[in-house]
Amino acid sequence: MSLIDELEALEAKAKEMIETAETAEKLEAARVALMGRKGEITGLMRMMGKIDPEERPVLGKRANEMRRMAETLLDHRMRELKCAAVRELMATEAVDITLPGARPQIGHAHLINQIIEEVEDVFCGIGYTVETGPQVESSWYNFTALNAPLDHPSRSARDTFYVKDNAPGTAAHPEEHAHGESDVLLRTQTSGVQVHTMENQEPPIYMIAPGRVYRPDTADACHLPQFHQIEGLVVDRGITFGDLKGTLDYFVKCMFGGDRATRYRPHFFPFTEPSCEVDVSCGVCGGKGCPFCKHSGWIEILGCGMVDPNVLRNCGIDPEVYSGFAFGAGVERIAALRYDLPDLRTLVTGDMRFLEQF
Amino acid sequence: MKVSYDWLSSMVELPEDPAELATEFIRTGTEVESIDTVGEAFDHIVTAKVLSKEPHPDSDHMWVTKVDVGEANVDAEGNPEPLQIVCGAQNFNEGDHIVTAMIGAELPGDIKIKKSKLRGVVSMGMNCSARELGLSADHAGIMILPEDAPVGMPFAQYRGTSDTVLDCEITPNRADCLSMIGIAREVGAIYDRDFHVELPAIKAESGAATDDTVSVELIDEGLCDRYVARVVRNVKVGPSPEWLVQRLNACGVRTHSNVVDITNYVMMLTGQPLHAFDLAAFEERDGKRAVAVRAAREGEVFRTLDDVERTLSAGMGLIATGEAGATPVALAGVMGGMDSEVTDATVDVLVESACFNAGRTSHTSRDLALISDASIRFERQVDETGCVDVADIACALIEELAGGEVAPGCVDVYPAPKTVEPVELRLARVHALCGAPIEPAFIERALTRLGCAVEAAGEGEQTVYTVTPPTFRPDLPREIDLIEEVLRLWGMGRVEATIPAAKNHIGGLTREQRLTRKVGQILRGCGLNETMNFSFAAPGDLERIGMSAEGRGCPVEIMNPLVAEQTEMRRSLIPGLLQSVEFNIKHSTANVQLYEIGTLFFGRENTSAPKEREAVAGVMSGSMGDVTWNCKPMPLRFFDGKGVVEELLAQLRIPKVRFRPADGDAYAFLQPGRGAEVLSSGTVLGWVGEIHPDARDVYGIDIPVVAFELNLEALLKLSGAQEAYREFSQFPSVEHDLAIVVDDDVTCEDLERRLRSAGGKLLVGVRLFDVYRDPVRVGVGKKSMAFALTYRAEDHTLTSEEVERAHQKLVTKVCKATGGEVRS
Repeated sequence: MSLIDELEALEAKAKEMIETAETAEKLEAARVALMGRKGEITGLMRMMGKIDPEERPVLGKRANEMRRMAETLLDHRMRELKCAAVRELMATEAVDITLPGARPQIGHAHLINQIIEEVEDVFCGIGYTVETGPQVESSWYNFTALNAPLDHPSRSARDTFYVKDNAPGTAAHPEEHAHGESDVLLRTQTSGVQVHTMENQEPPIYMIAPGRVYRPDTADACHLPQFHQIEGLVVDRGITFGDLKGTLDYFVKCMFGGDRATRYRPHFFPFTEPSCEVDVSCGVCGGKGCPFCKHSGWIEILGCGMVDPNVLRNCGIDPEVYSGFAFGAGVERIAALRYDLPDLRTLVTGDMRFLEQF
Repeated sequence: MKVSYDWLSSMVELPEDPAELATEFIRTGTEVESIDTVGEAFDHIVTAKVLSKEPHPDSDHMWVTKVDVGEANVDAEGNPEPLQIVCGAQNFNEGDHIVTAMIGAELPGDIKIKKSKLRGVVSMGMNCSARELGLSADHAGIMILPEDAPVGMPFAQYRGTSDTVLDCEITPNRADCLSMIGIAREVGAIYDRDFHVELPAIKAESGAATDDTVSVELIDEGLCDRYVARVVRNVKVGPSPEWLVQRLNACGVRTHSNVVDITNYVMMLTGQPLHAFDLAAFEERDGKRAVAVRAAREGEVFRTLDDVERTLSAGMGLIATGEAGATPVALAGVMGGMDSEVTDATVDVLVESACFNAGRTSHTSRDLALISDASIRFERQVDETGCVDVADIACALIEELAGGEVAPGCVDVYPAPKTVEPVELRLARVHALCGAPIEPAFIERALTRLGCAVEAAGEGEQTVYTVTPPTFRPDLPREIDLIEEVLRLWGMGRVEATIPAAKNHIGGLTREQRLTRKVGQILRGCGLNETMNFSFAAPGDLERIGMSAEGRGCPVEIMNPLVAEQTEMRRSLIPGLLQSVEFNIKHSTANVQLYEIGTLFFGRENTSAPKEREAVAGVMSGSMGDVTWNCKPMPLRFFDGKGVVEELLAQLRIPKVRFRPADGDAYAFLQPGRGAEVLSSGTVLGWVGEIHPDARDVYGIDIPVVAFELNLEALLKLSGAQEAYREFSQFPSVEHDLAIVVDDDVTCEDLERRLRSAGGKLLVGVRLFDVYRDPVRVGVGKKSMAFALTYRAEDHTLTSEEVERAHQKLVTKVCKATGGEVRS
């Protein structure tokens, strides 16, 4: 057989070997048999050096063509086989996509802290700071500095938790106390933070004070002996009652929705004057009156007022130069109103089912 | 304060619809809790006429009556049908007009009228006395109406009592509004209209003068600002007239007898509490009945009008008589005494119109938990300037309604007559604080309507008003108080809402506040839910689980705790969290992952204020997530808790974190060998570990709980900044595994530190991937620790010779240092 015949026979054989290889392994075996170091094509190519130089250009060209063809076929066949393998694999991997996903467990923030953060963000957005203070307060910071008279009923042991004083008479601004009361108490409001802030900072002051407060209410569906308040205080030049309204309107709309109306009812608090309570229009009936709002169309949400000049003076601020407003809201109340909580006690049990709802 | 619309309308013109007035009240600061129509209680009660009266066949004092109730009861054809009613009263005859409660009626005292049989005779209702109808104390017999009374008319309609009562919440500063006159004045100010009150006057005075009859001595100072006494002799104590009963009932005041009812009526009218004593209750000294006001002695016992024996504390005010006021007769300003009250036998009455000190009355009432109509008025400050006038009104009414003879004059002890200082009110200040263009004319008018004397001086914005508040408004001593009055009447709703400029002020969260939020975010990312427990603690809660109180100060003790488990403030978050684990397990949730960020309270000897420290703690039990079709959750153990702490510290970029075994008494609440102290550069941040089974037992938890508690303030302080970008090496790395057999007590930390130090600069990664113990293959008391070591150079591709050299050096050094051997 002439060399050219051999070459052509080999070409036909290679074609067949490659095209009939059914698996990647068989194809690889074919590649080794043809193109490997001892492969037939490799052997043929090696013979090229030994042939007549006159025949070499033609035969050489033909041999190279064959080798390229074999390479191309191998590549092609390899791709075909891979594709087939992937398709086969995919056919076996189809799943019922309605099966539940593998969810990573991510924890939930406590509802009360979610609301506190929300309020903080609202007020930080309009330039307020967030201030804190001690929960075990002196009666001066909790009451007296806030203009609460010494015989105010809220000071009684029925309305305030008193703490055993380990050093009677040494608290800042010690006071005389009735039996069963002392200079040291669990703060009943976060208002003491306002006093600390006014003592420690020069106006302008724009602050909120979220925090835990305590009152001796036996725990039931609507009461807890500890709850959370967010109070706010602004002290600056030229602050008006209109500023209080504008600020609280904005706050109420942020928390309850832009379509809610507000109502300002004059009221009395020792530390503000004029004082008022703020109602938000009922979200259930839209203000028409329903059982949720006790048919009034309104829901009480805030207490507020212009800072009493006595309070400013107690904190070393001249009320003729500066004026301000203060407000306070109960976080549990906001939570109960927004989410219709039937029992506040669920807030403090650590019940995973409750925590994961919010 | 219950306000009778009917009564109020006799003083000032009112809108036809009471709801309209309520809206105005709410707008101006008087909360209206409810609007009720009285007379509704008279449902199924009608006027009637006695048709016949036969003796009861089986009783010697009861009667069987046939009563005509007109159209109120009809037969099947719609014709009026009389009712048969058994009646025990003796004061009526056939033909009398009476009041009958039919079946379905409800009488005061929760009496429901039903069809009944009285000694075998059917009774279809009840013929009522005035007392049974809740109208007066009169129970002498059934009510007999005039002969011209219609038959079958609803009783409420007949009586014309369709009054409306507004239940108003009066703020503590408005003592004046705890009276009908005060409310009428308020209405006048709201609507800018006049009000009129017709007050009765004493017709005649007779007998010995009051000051010849009575002596009043204020023994202890500070109890009583003024004491006025008048005497009315020969009163006829009996039921009050209908109109008086109606008005008192509308105000929610129970009626007793005419004299007592009159004192209550005058109190409702004027806001001045009065007390009527039986004059005979006061002992005679020097020919006069001696009245003394003195402070109670500690532990003194006194029986009040409600027949309760009360133990008094020192300083409570008493009205007393006898030598140095030895015998108490009333609790000043709060409640009268059992033995001095006016009874049917009373002949002479002493009317007390006094002003007891607000603070003292408030303390007495609070300490005894005894709140009366009088005490709530005194503690808000009664207008002492009115004491004499009010006493006169009461005496005039007693004269008129109880037939008394008023003794001439009064005894009036008034040590320091009150003066009212005028207050300056600047128009510019009103505008500056309210941010509203309130008209000067409005200001003058409103304050005048409220009873102030107003004089204006100056022009335009510079106008200054000199305002003299009335004596009954002790809450208006300052300019700001007047501004409040003006604003509330003008209307807070009318003020334009503005947002302050906040010039030169910067807000936002502090670094610590942002980091605290981040702590929460990281822990939630680790799968823990945030919870919140009480800040209270039970005494001994730390000892019970074996947690040392060292470094936690002394307990902060609550003087007036509500429950025995909440008498102190917490010194660790762990007891609360374990309680939450217990709660969840009891409610069939065994997989519990919770964290809490909260305040701990460390009491200090000789210091009033405790130290408050913020802490973050977590508990993990069960497994992360539930069993599902595609994963089997692993039970949470020590390393899961440690991992959470490591992640938290890494994300907070806390430098040089170390864990060391938490041993000894301080950590007796942790399972031995499964607790670690967490440190950063030598500062102890807290601990992580599995709760000791004995400690878990306290909470009835029978599965492992891994927990941690860290000092939040220390975390925030040590939290470092993000470091600058570091270039990745461009050159490939080479990985080598090394399993080394060491004694069991060689720690992973120790081994890792030695590997790193021995590996030099080329060793860039050390990762433990296996710990293996086997007495045969590894040896008793030994363990095999397998590490994946990564070698890489920053500036060239490592040759295998370089790696081999470095690795051999490392193996030699580490084996030598730890006494370990390479496991082949």
